Amino acid sequence: MDLTSRKLVDRSFTGLGWFSILLMAAALVILLAPIVVRGLGAFVFKGTVEHRKLQFEVFGHGRAGAVDAETAEVTEARQPVYDMLAAFEAELESADFASRRKHAGPLRELKDHLRRLLGPLPAEDAPVLMREQYGQTRWDRAQMALNHLLLIETYDYSDPTQMGRKILTPRVEDFKGTSLEPLFAYVEDNASAMLKPRWTLYWRFLFDSSHDAHFFGGIWPELLGTIYLTLGAILFAVPLGVISAIYLVEYTEEGSRLVGLLRTCINTLAGVPSIVYGLFGLAFFINSLHVSQSKSVLAGALTLGILVLPFVIRSAEEAIRAVPQTYKEAALSLGVGKWRAITTVILPAALPGILTGTVISMGRAAGETAPIIFTAAVSVGQPLSFLQTFSEPTPALPWNIYNLCSEHEAVDEIRHVQYGMVFTLVMLVLLLNSGAILLRARITKRMRG
Amino acid sequence: MSTQKKPLPLIRKVAGGLFAAVALCAPSNGAWGQTEDKVRIDGSTTVGPITKAFAEYYMRQHPDVNITVSESGSGNGAKSLVNGTCDAAAMSRFMKPQEFSAAVDKGVMPVAHVVAIDGIAIVVHPSNPMANLTVSQVRDIYAGKITNWSQVGGPDKKIVAISRDSNSGTFECFNNLVMQKEKIAGSTEYVGSNGAARQRVQSTPGAVGYVGLGFLDRTVKALSVDNVHPDPDSVTSGRYPVARPLYLFTDGYPELGSHLHAFVTLHLSRKGQEIIESLGFVPVTHYK
Amino acid sequence: MADTRFIIQRNSLIISARANRLRRLAALGGRGILLLITSSSALVILFIFYFIIKDALPFFQLRGLKEFFTSTAWYPSSSPASFGATSIFVGSGLVTLGAILVSVPLGVTAAVCLSDMLPFSLRQLVKPVIEMLAAIPSVAFGFFALVVFAPQLQERGGTILSVAWWMITAPVAFLMLWIVSSVLSSRLPERIRSMGRLGLAAALAAPTFWGIWFVGRSFHALEISSGANALNVSIILGIMALPTIVSVSEDALQSVGGELREGAYALGATRTETMLRIVIPAAKSGICAAIILGIMRAIGETMVVWMASGNAAQIPRPWFNVLEPVRTLTATIAGETGEADHVTGSARYHVLFAMALCLLVISYAFNYVSDRIVRRTSRIGRA
Repeated sequence: MDLTSRKLVDRSFTGLGWFSILLMAAALVILLAPIVVRGLGAFVFKGTVEHRKLQFEVFGHGRAGAVDAETAEVTEARQPVYDMLAAFEAELESADFASRRKHAGPLRELKDHLRRLLGPLPAEDAPVLMREQYGQTRWDRAQMALNHLLLIETYDYSDPTQMGRKILTPRVEDFKGTSLEPLFAYVEDNASAMLKPRWTLYWRFLFDSSHDAHFFGGIWPELLGTIYLTLGAILFAVPLGVISAIYLVEYTEEGSRLVGLLRTCINTLAGVPSIVYGLFGLAFFINSLHVSQSKSVLAGALTLGILVLPFVIRSAEEAIRAVPQTYKEAALSLGVGKWRAITTVILPAALPGILTGTVISMGRAAGETAPIIFTAAVSVGQPLSFLQTFSEPTPALPWNIYNLCSEHEAVDEIRHVQYGMVFTLVMLVLLLNSGAILLRARITKRMRG
Repeated sequence: MSTQKKPLPLIRKVAGGLFAAVALCAPSNGAWGQTEDKVRIDGSTTVGPITKAFAEYYMRQHPDVNITVSESGSGNGAKSLVNGTCDAAAMSRFMKPQEFSAAVDKGVMPVAHVVAIDGIAIVVHPSNPMANLTVSQVRDIYAGKITNWSQVGGPDKKIVAISRDSNSGTFECFNNLVMQKEKIAGSTEYVGSNGAARQRVQSTPGAVGYVGLGFLDRTVKALSVDNVHPDPDSVTSGRYPVARPLYLFTDGYPELGSHLHAFVTLHLSRKGQEIIESLGFVPVTHYK
Repeated sequence: MADTRFIIQRNSLIISARANRLRRLAALGGRGILLLITSSSALVILFIFYFIIKDALPFFQLRGLKEFFTSTAWYPSSSPASFGATSIFVGSGLVTLGAILVSVPLGVTAAVCLSDMLPFSLRQLVKPVIEMLAAIPSVAFGFFALVVFAPQLQERGGTILSVAWWMITAPVAFLMLWIVSSVLSSRLPERIRSMGRLGLAAALAAPTFWGIWFVGRSFHALEISSGANALNVSIILGIMALPTIVSVSEDALQSVGGELREGAYALGATRTETMLRIVIPAAKSGICAAIILGIMRAIGETMVVWMASGNAAQIPRPWFNVLEPVRTLTATIAGETGEADHVTGSARYHVLFAMALCLLVISYAFNYVSDRIVRRTSRIGRA
């Protein structure tokens, strides 16, 4: 090859390298973008009056006067709809059988859609499920409900050899020529007067407990469960890990058989698939040691602790190794014992490094799902007190993300909650990690300076 | 099992040493932090909506009670009941003889409470022009003998068969009532819950799946089976061929006046019926 | 006077000797405790092996080895039940293979770029990207795969595939064309060489790009009946394995040292030639270890495959058809432990432990291999 070609190949190879780096960054962006954008939607959204009513009645947030005034306003705006319905029903009473029959079905459907949009109709008993006691709390979902109210979605199956085509027909056609006809135009024009959408910052999403299978409220039980599990795992793993690291670095000679064996064990432990930890936690902590009767935060935290143990050991080892040998020599030459030298000189010097490893391990423990499926996680539960963690299971963010997006009965209706949970978990983990990165940056700076 | 009577005693000892502290902190009977007022439910995802709504309703009436609901499958529910790790097992099938005898061996006496009746609806994507299948057609689809909708008079589209995971009561019920002796083909996709099954069908034009009646909504289309449409009426009257009762199992009949008793008899109350109806299941009571 | 002093000295000597003994004893005891704690945290792995084997053995006693490893009939709940796990092993293997195909070329080129091409300041920017990618919890990847990626793949799968095909093949084809034509034209006389090269390139380009276009078009026409399939999972697992592969192979490339690179540059090699002929071969074993770690990450991952692989216990036809749903070992364990009735000790419960045992053995084997590779390298490096 001549020089130009070699140069060109070189350039293209460089390009390939850049391309792969960019692709990786793009993968991160593509992954995070929907999670961040739609996840923020759980916190910042256009809340309707129903949202404020629910917040006040269920959680006691907001001012009574304001909510009452707003409720009065929207009741006034909704009244014509209910009046029209009542008038139409009275009209049907006196109508002939054929038209009663013709309108009964569509009327029932229309009422269903109205209930879904605005909450229970005024004359009816309060429904027992909370999801039916309130109308749409979010404007985006309200608009979808409005669409379903205005348009009927049917499929054209005229050609049985093809998949059906979707056809949208205005629902008003079902009520052509009746007194209900103007209702649709009214609802369409006055939807925002009836629901009063307003930009809302719902930061309490993090701290509200959930209601009616996550239809309403926030994610506090899950968040708290994750915090308990993470802290428990760290409390278990860090002392054990740091002591092991001290032993491996300070009390053994590199290359001895014992160290080789210990290291092989720890390396193998680091490679064990997380689901195997879950099975092990079930078989060992619950079925053999009986740390709790069944799933509990304690059993889950111990399992997670074992999972992060090898990482804690490795990072602590690295941190201790990074302490300059001169520190130790200076301490020893002053006549202190080895153990004193370790606890008063080496460990303090290694502390930031150990902390970095701990924080990264926390992120890992917070995000792991497989080990807690059989040892700690349930889909519905109340926030636990500290003492309860010894015997009771808890919901936890990673498990409930799985549960809500693939086991919940209304997967689509609560997408915003799922995204909110994923967003919270990812942010929690990324915050912990960026904390670790900052910590490390400060250490390197100090070491250099 | 008896072949490994004394497995690695040394390891046991080290284990004892290692986790002694832990074990001391948490006595095995869980005496710490145990509240009297708690009810633990474990089991079927099909019964899940009912138990979750009941729990929500009950906890609102009795704010001092903590009810946890795990949805880990009917088999897991039975196991938890036998091991004494839950107070009531939600199951979408009756207990199997082995489970029953294992329970009796452990001194647990399972008592069944029929909470509701559920039909298993065969669902397809709403754009699918099919309206009816016979039981044998459904069986052939899941056995892999029919792989295209055109073979049952539909459009030329590959069938994506979606089944519940084999640990679910819904699966076993479907298996018994529809598949009978046939085996489900390997190419069938498995999902973990009724909600997931419906979600997969609503997003996959060629799909067919089966879900509990309570999970039907506008996003999927329920097919008639043997020309009977699945709805509360046809299920109660027994005309719809794929239906089964849903159970809560307890260890013995719960003590009168206990929270557990109130919980497992909630379905007999008017409010309970309302909850069950509004979740789309068929109640066992008939309040008007 | 002298006497007393001597006695005092002797006394203090005696005291210090006793104290010394005590101290030594304490040190020894302390050391023993440290060893105990350390070995217990290392011995956890033996516990894991013990407890998994304890519950896995009954399965093999009940059902033997043959069915589990050779049959594809996975009907754990029917009666009579059958526990053929071949298709599940194939599923695990297939998604792992897919993940490796995605992550290895990308990861190794990214590592090369990171270690030898990017300026220092940019490297400081890219590293956090990798760390963030590594930190994101697997359930978030699973959520993305199931909720965002699977519907897209189902709706626009053909377009996505053909775009990806073009993005990957077009630059590579261009590069190959240039190399081939310049090699072929180097025999030509000086006068017509550049002309000849252009002509050759053009002549070769036509069929090549036609081929690429043809394949791309057939990709475009593909209809993906279900977005929850092996391809989806492979891509996501590949992205998850990337950080491991990049950072470990970058370490390997860095450890090659400046002398080799400088030597190559001094001989007039371009950077590409240096990397491809000198540095990468020298860092070969480290890169192998990186790939093995990536494989382990992909094999052991649970949530993504459980949520988005479709969980169909089948061997796709043909076996490499990644558009079919598959089922993996980890997802089977996660999904079926629900039935696991310990009480009766059924084969159905123990089969899951048998699978866990297989996973453990696989991860141990890979660990062993990568350990050996790393150790051999460090010995060579020292020698």
